[in-house]
Amino acid sequence: MTPDPLLDIRNLSVGLRGDGIGYDIVRDVSLSLYPNEVLAVVGESGCGKSLTALSILALHASPPLYITGGSILFEGTDLTKLSPAKMRAVRGAEIAMVFQDPMSALDPMFTVGTLLTSAVKAHQKVSADVAKKISLEALADAGIEDPRRRFDEYPFQLSGGVSQRVMIALALVNDPKIIIADEPTTALDVTVQAQILDRLRELKNERGMSVMLITHNLGVVASVADRMAVMYAGEVVESGAVGEVLAAPHHPYTNGLLSAVPRLNSEASELVPIGGRVPQPNELPAGCAFADRCSFVTDRCRSEHPPLEHHARTEVRCHHPVA
Amino acid sequence: MKSVLKTTLLTLLLLIASSLAVFAAIRLSGGDVTAARLPASATAEDRELFRQQVGLDQPILRQYVTYVGEVFTGDLGNSLTNNASISSLAVEKIKNSAILGGMSLVLVFGVGIPLGMIAALKRNSWLDTGITSFSVAGMAVPNFWLALILIYIFATVLGWLPSAGQGGIEYLILPAVVLSAEGIALTVRMTRSAMIENLSQDFVRTLRAAGLSERRIYFKHVLRNSLLPIISLAGLRVGQIVGYALVVETIFGWPGVGQQLVNAVLRRDYPVVQFFSLLLVFVVTLGNLAASVGYTLANPRLRK
Ligand SMILES: Nc1ncnc2c1ncn2[C@@H]1O[C@H](COP(=O)(O)OP(=O)(O)OP(=O)(O)O)[C@@H](O)[C@H]1O
Ligand code: SF4
Ligand SMILES: [Mg+2]
Repeated sequence: MTPDPLLDIRNLSVGLRGDGIGYDIVRDVSLSLYPNEVLAVVGESGCGKSLTALSILALHASPPLYITGGSILFEGTDLTKLSPAKMRAVRGAEIAMVFQDPMSALDPMFTVGTLLTSAVKAHQKVSADVAKKISLEALADAGIEDPRRRFDEYPFQLSGGVSQRVMIALALVNDPKIIIADEPTTALDVTVQAQILDRLRELKNERGMSVMLITHNLGVVASVADRMAVMYAGEVVESGAVGEVLAAPHHPYTNGLLSAVPRLNSEASELVPIGGRVPQPNELPAGCAFADRCSFVTDRCRSEHPPLEHHARTEVRCHHPVA
Repeated sequence: MKSVLKTTLLTLLLLIASSLAVFAAIRLSGGDVTAARLPASATAEDRELFRQQVGLDQPILRQYVTYVGEVFTGDLGNSLTNNASISSLAVEKIKNSAILGGMSLVLVFGVGIPLGMIAALKRNSWLDTGITSFSVAGMAVPNFWLALILIYIFATVLGWLPSAGQGGIEYLILPAVVLSAEGIALTVRMTRSAMIENLSQDFVRTLRAAGLSERRIYFKHVLRNSLLPIISLAGLRVGQIVGYALVVETIFGWPGVGQQLVNAVLRRDYPVVQFFSLLLVFVVTLGNLAASVGYTLANPRLRK
């Protein structure tokens, strides 16, 4: 019997609202993150991965973006209903985030130490000495060789890899239950990528955390994640255990992605678009969003929007799942 | 730190060059200085003798060196119009101008930065619109015109404030407001746009994700980043205040360096003109030096 999910995103929609415009970008997304697992979220650029992740901590740009439906349950509390003050208590302390571009994600005017200790003090009533000790430990935990030296350095003195480790340390200082990492290694070179992903995986095991990992890279998914969800045009089209999905994808989109990748685990395993174009969120067809690019398309696909349904051991959003 | 030393040396060179230029300009600007001191009946010989007495027959560079030497010993020479010693005159004038200029500088940053921050925080609200319109007006209205309007409203019509002269704080208000108006307006606009720009930087999202309060993010991180461009242009603000002081002190009869300088120019009292214009050059240069050192110290990349 599976345990209750730690984070349960149910039918989440996030949309753009403004003068005379209004459409959803993230539509009816359900994702569950269980204790002590890595959930990978994959999908082509613009499919709504970051927006889904940001909306968990209400970090999406609002206005113009709003959560327009669904709920995000964390340990039974709906995060979408929290007051700003209560949400602030969750950010960093219960759920932390690591962003894609570490160089611009760190405030250039303050040292690593100031950044980390402010984050500690945002949640814990501790002395400056204790905050420093916690910060140094987090730096070491993030795999930084010389924490004392880095503590006094400014972001401009750090390489991309070290900056990203500082971001991870920042995520660790308040010992959260969940880390959401949005393409944490895309900006880095391959060896550093591997080291950082390994570190994340180890931290998950050491601390019993859960990680939601957003990535373009199916090789990364195969080597790091326990479960995965594939997103397309703002929707989850397939989800399940990594082994199941990668071994036998049922959605034509996932299938296409996998056959477009010559060798799994190689550097070339970025998501290569299948022929055709992803529909924009404001010009979605009535039926299946993938219909224009799908080789199995039928009339039913064009008229009737497919729901996410159990198929074999995964969930698939398709009228004619690949066997 | 090396860059601070370099800036200081450059500033010193600039100071020598610009003071020399001012020194020479006063001598080359034409007009007979002897006319101010000697009676109309004085002969050409009398006039030549006078020139020799005050050293005007020497080469300019020589005169400059002599003059700088004298300034360092505290001997600033005498006024040609009433023979009063310039050093005794200077202390009072400098004090008055320092009060007015200092007050204006405090207003430029002390009012400009908070207003800009409020406008950025409440952007697109009526408060922002109000502050922004005021700052547009502050830049568009020439300061002598602003002076006349304010004198008319607050002195003539309402009678709340004196229109000119010196005394208690009430005499300082109008001239300081006029002198700082444009600087405040520019600082409001710079602060507002820098704050808005920095608020959308990636690092703000990182700080939010870490659970820092909005207040801390805004007042510590975004503000610190936004102060850099303001500090880097602070030298210009000082220059503006010094330049406008000539007009504003004259209009408000504020007995400072600016008013003194305008009067001396009108009377061709060249030793007075010389000292006070060099003083202004000195202040402006020093203001730029302070701004540049401040920028270096405030910027981690340059400080290290
Ligand atoms: N602030 C915003 N205003 C308007 N549209 C936005 C905003 N942020 C994101 N979007 C739109 O939302 C959609 C999803 O964006 P999102 O960043 O979630 O994609 P993604 O899946 O993370 O892509 P990538 O792989 O490139 O990071 C895109 O079409 C984008 O244009
Ligand atoms: S629903 Fe139809 S169009 Fe959509 S993916 Fe399935 S087969 Fe293709
Ligand atoms: Mg993204």
